[in-house]
Amino acid sequence: MFGFAWTVLNPLLAMVIFTMVFSRVFSNRPNYSLYVFTALMGWNLFSSGTSRGLDSIVINGPIIRKVFVPKAIFPVAAVVSQVVNFVFTLIPLFLLMAVSGAGFSLHLLWLPIPLVSLTCFALGIALLVGTFNVFFRDIKYFYEAGLLAWFYATPIFYPPEIIPDKFKFLLHMNPMYALLESLRAPIYLGAAPPLGVLLPGLALSLATLAIGWIVFHRFESRFIHYV
Amino acid sequence: MSSGRRLSHVSRFVQASEVIDAPQVLTPPAHRERLPVLEIEDLSVRLLLHRERIRSIRDYAIRTLKRRRDKQDEFWPLREVSVTVNSGEILGIIGANGAGKSTLLKVIAGIIPPSLGSVVVRGRIAPLIELGAGFDSFLTGRENIFLYGSLLGFSQKELEKRFDRIVRFAELDEFIDVPLMNYSVGMTARLGFAIATDVKPDLLLIDELFSVGDAAFKKKCEERMESFKAKGVTIVLVSHDLKLIGSTCRKVVWLHHGRIAAAGPADQAVVEYQKFSASSSV
Repeated sequence: MFGFAWTVLNPLLAMVIFTMVFSRVFSNRPNYSLYVFTALMGWNLFSSGTSRGLDSIVINGPIIRKVFVPKAIFPVAAVVSQVVNFVFTLIPLFLLMAVSGAGFSLHLLWLPIPLVSLTCFALGIALLVGTFNVFFRDIKYFYEAGLLAWFYATPIFYPPEIIPDKFKFLLHMNPMYALLESLRAPIYLGAAPPLGVLLPGLALSLATLAIGWIVFHRFESRFIHYV
Repeated sequence: MSSGRRLSHVSRFVQASEVIDAPQVLTPPAHRERLPVLEIEDLSVRLLLHRERIRSIRDYAIRTLKRRRDKQDEFWPLREVSVTVNSGEILGIIGANGAGKSTLLKVIAGIIPPSLGSVVVRGRIAPLIELGAGFDSFLTGRENIFLYGSLLGFSQKELEKRFDRIVRFAELDEFIDVPLMNYSVGMTARLGFAIATDVKPDLLLIDELFSVGDAAFKKKCEERMESFKAKGVTIVLVSHDLKLIGSTCRKVVWLHHGRIAAAGPADQAVVEYQKFSASSSV
């Protein structure tokens, strides 16, 4: 039960810290805590889901060696458990929205679409890194460093406007930007996510999932000899 | 590396994983009667023994810079094995250590994919190899029944229905809500056996004589095995106990270095194997 409490507390604490450190710096963002919290929820789903997915095959090696199981259940379980966490975190989110005076709009009904996109994207990446990790065990360190860089490259605790124009192209190459912006729109802006962001995000996520799925199934029969 | 690519190519044509998936789909009973429960055709399993295995990108980079390739040797735990087991038959597998007996069971169970050839299983398998693999020692006995049960392919509803019977058979009523890490080895094995054999399977895979629990529980296991036999469950039995093999199996396969050295009626194959081991040990 306490474990569950932590899943909710973790993004809350992170939000408090970011608010304390940056709310003055980015004072042009009204309701900065909500701005950060929304993106952190989405980012946590992605980063925890893929990190656990990365380890999932190797950690469950003893089971794979002894029982016949469809191996995809391990990365899928890693990501789905993070989706469950995400859903639980909606409780403090709605509390925060109520307290901070952000309006609850009907546009919140859009939420499932960015959530599905994020899940598909996370699952696709989890399948990919999970597969690679079976063969190259130090992928983990590269991935963790990459995640950190990715976190700072994505407007999560800062507004996208502060990125200099010559680096703006990075934003458009960053799938997490599109996914988190579509998540933010209904919650933080009380608006529908712009279709020009929502739909490419969804398409890219589905494509990532498809690639991850194909790669995983291409290599899964060899896992048994490496775990 | 290059030979590895070639071979995995072949196995893709065989589409081993799809064949292995087949057991999950139950064929209608009338259909099942006629077709063999287990059909193994020209099965080979190839392993790569790595002398200096690449385990990380760092190794890979260093190895590439030094222009040294991953050295690996091929090893075939199973070569061109073909066996057919009809419904209700009991197949015995004998052979020296390292002959490929356990590997064969694992291939039948779907754990190791065939490199070449095909394995078709019609019906549900109860693999009594590595009992309780997949148990989580932090979860209680109750939770593990659902965890292990679903690994064996049972739905949650089915398991709920059978829960009491499993607990009663495993004699764990008092301890069912205790985490598995507090169980004795015997208790864990009993639970594994009770879950795996609760429902009559179509194909039972037994690796060696599992020694589960005390004499009383052992007797219970044997009774359950007997009742399966009487009900016509197909069994594949791996054992070093030639007497047991001779008395229970009609058909016996003797594996030697991964190949079938002899196959046929129990008395013949066992005698040949005994002759061989007698001559080679002198």
